[in-house]
Amino acid sequence: MELFEKSAFELSQMLDKKEVSSVEITKSVFNRIYSVEEKVNSYVTLDKENALNKAQEVDKKIANGEKLSPLAGIPIGIKDNISTKGLRTTCSSKMLENYVPPFNATVIDKVNNADMIITGKLNMDEFAMGSSTETSYFKKTKNPFDLERIPGGSSGGSAASVAAGEAVVSLGSDTGGSIRQPASYCGVVGLKPTYGRVSRFGLVAFASSLDQIGPISRTVKDVAMLQSVISGHDRYDATSACVDTPDFLAGLKSDVKGLRIGIPKEYFGNGIDSNVKDAVYNAVKVLEQNGASVKEISLPSTNYALSAYYIISSAEASSNLARYDGVKYGYRAKEFDSLIDMYEKTRSEGFGDEVKRRILLGTFVLSSGFFDAYYKKAKLVQRRVSAEFNEVFKDVDVICTPTVPSTAFKIGENIDNPLKMYATDICTVTINIAGLPAMSIPCGYDDKGLPIGLQLVGNKFCEQTLLNTANAYENIIGGFKSPLL
Amino acid sequence: MNIDIKHIAKLARLRIEDGELEKFKNDMQGIVEMVENLPSDIKDEPLLDPENSMKLREDKVRENKYSRDELTKNAPHVTAGCLVVPKTVE
Repeated sequence: MELFEKSAFELSQMLDKKEVSSVEITKSVFNRIYSVEEKVNSYVTLDKENALNKAQEVDKKIANGEKLSPLAGIPIGIKDNISTKGLRTTCSSKMLENYVPPFNATVIDKVNNADMIITGKLNMDEFAMGSSTETSYFKKTKNPFDLERIPGGSSGGSAASVAAGEAVVSLGSDTGGSIRQPASYCGVVGLKPTYGRVSRFGLVAFASSLDQIGPISRTVKDVAMLQSVISGHDRYDATSACVDTPDFLAGLKSDVKGLRIGIPKEYFGNGIDSNVKDAVYNAVKVLEQNGASVKEISLPSTNYALSAYYIISSAEASSNLARYDGVKYGYRAKEFDSLIDMYEKTRSEGFGDEVKRRILLGTFVLSSGFFDAYYKKAKLVQRRVSAEFNEVFKDVDVICTPTVPSTAFKIGENIDNPLKMYATDICTVTINIAGLPAMSIPCGYDDKGLPIGLQLVGNKFCEQTLLNTANAYENIIGGFKSPLL
Repeated sequence: MNIDIKHIAKLARLRIEDGELEKFKNDMQGIVEMVENLPSDIKDEPLLDPENSMKLREDKVRENKYSRDELTKNAPHVTAGCLVVPKTVE
């Protein structure tokens, strides 16, 4: 087994025993990038020189006997909407093609303080708006399990790179499913933390009340380790919660005896592929056979969540993206006759169609005469959705659902049909609306060999329960498959 | 519902060319029909969430660790440390 194929947990133990150096691990990952990146297209920007320099520094610290974080020396890829000082951060948009942040996002400071090695910036849907990474201005990322198919989105590069061995772990962001959906399509593990668990400072804003940064990796242990690194209150983000950060790895259990699982009937209706339903039911059965109890539950407002999500997220996006005006940073149109003309041309030339659609929808639902009927109503639905989850979590510890209704579709299949694309988010958006933590873990493969994801949803700040359940499942089935590339 | 795309685009400072108008209009029509699926029996109540109050920072000036040059280096047009825009008054 090559180094790039190993988990962060294994590599961390090898580093600890001085069986390998961080430079060797980093070189192995870059060699893998050079051999498969042409097929997968995960990265927008590579940062090999800095990565190797940092790896050298870490090796020196290890040689000097310094006490380092468990993830020290481990290569990590970063979604290209997380600000990295001195390293281009494009959001996969023409608008930010040449933008180099003068500051680090808080999570990047934390990753650096943990002595992790940043390999580069990962492709995504433009401004995280999309479900296939096809709206990237730069390139189309491919699914490592089938290069004719999409990796999911918007964190498509984050999931594909980890699945393909081009990063040991990665960071993504999730506004309506953007970590879990690509994790499901690419057969990897992804966690969207509770809203407020991780600082959003330096995450380029899409929908501020829903956005959350989270880890993606090939094993549950690695996700647990990275989640501990990135969590915590931050004075630069007033919405980050003042809760303690547990050591999620130390707290990891591998049995599910006594765990109460809820199966919401609304997530298994028409529109969910039968392969997906079967795989999810089987996974639940495995947990039940190992000591969990299972009961059917109901979350009646689920049917309204997709509407509420697209209204709230687009409304916030239209406000957040007003900052791209060609004045302070980013693209500026070449020719214009006035300030307004400059704004309009800059924004029309700098944004792609999907971003424009979301801005238009957001502007519409916030515009005079429509605010109460759309935005306010959507916020009231959000409250109802949250209340239903609160009620359900009195009786269950974890909710199990499919992550996505079907497996990865072909590149180009849905790109001209926004409604079909939006429908792939149906199982994930509700969780963001309610601000809950949720994970996707592989739970099977369809008849074409494409991965299927099991979504685990927990109560607020109960990430440990999700990680324990996922860890138990991973142990029982003996680990997850990697694609052949 | 008939959506006035030109008006919405103007509010959003976007310019939709005539050739694209129809496509955007159709897309938006479909999206708006989708998001109209909201319950009719929902009662109006305050949207404040007392359980999730934010921890506000102190209203205190802290030293800025960035220089003017660093902060303006991404701007498309800078002269004498100022961001330059087209003339707005005659």
